[in-house]
Amino acid sequence: MEWLISQPDTDGFENVIVTGDCDLYAAPSFAKAMRDRIAGGSTRLRFDLSKVDYLDSTGVGAIIRILQEGRRSGTELLFRGVKGTPRKVLRMSNILSLMREEQLP
Amino acid sequence: MKRFIARKLIVDERNELFDAQGMRYVEFPSDFSRIREFTSLVLAECPESFREGNLLEQQLSEIIKNGIKHGNRNDPLKRLRVWYDLRKRARFIVEDEGEGFIELDQWNEFFQERQKALFDEDFDAFLSLASYRGPKSDETDGGNSLIAALEYWNGGMIFNEARNKVGVVRWYARGSASS
Repeated sequence: MEWLISQPDTDGFENVIVTGDCDLYAAPSFAKAMRDRIAGGSTRLRFDLSKVDYLDSTGVGAIIRILQEGRRSGTELLFRGVKGTPRKVLRMSNILSLMREEQLP
Repeated sequence: MKRFIARKLIVDERNELFDAQGMRYVEFPSDFSRIREFTSLVLAECPESFREGNLLEQQLSEIIKNGIKHGNRNDPLKRLRVWYDLRKRARFIVEDEGEGFIELDQWNEFFQERQKALFDEDFDAFLSLASYRGPKSDETDGGNSLIAALEYWNGGMIFNEARNKVGVVRWYARGSASS
């Protein structure tokens, strides 16, 4: 699992492009990096999950922690490209409805 | 008018889900680094229509992880025993050598409170309750595997009295999940 963070778009959102399996081995590092990013002052983050095909409960837990951190700090969070099994797992965990989504361009 | 109904984890030693007759059997060492590998081995001959992408793999890996990590505490001397039947449905029994899921009742109470917050659309409360954190939870615990599992295993998810063995089944209709 890898993630790249781009410079802010004209709308002020930094894009976090995530690739690979967000699983029990990789998700904790991802969660920590994103929480640190939010704590470091990011105010708008857009997560592109279109290249994530596998998401387990640790991955869902990572997203929950990011949502919690965002709520605490007032950071705007957007998600796009949530599909396939990851989408089903997030729905079954009741987390999908907490994620503000936008369509891929 | 909406009614609030929350599922819960059930203990039933004599449940038919623990009848291993005719099931295939394999056992694994408690190696946390190989959980996904073990899952793939069990599912090597799984019908494609049961896989639903990688959803079955994901759900089974959660049970294997729970047994290896929470049950056997990654003790290499303890084994994880898996019975499986992938003929008409996806059915598994997974048993570890640990002390059992002693927080089961506590987890049911947590889940009730969590789902009530969701039902009441109290999203701040729900977000704070989104993950279960037990006394031994760490960063690799999402705290939500059992929540999705209760929905995914549409034929049941049952624990034995010792709470170190779980039986699950997912039924399919015409090659796809019935719920």
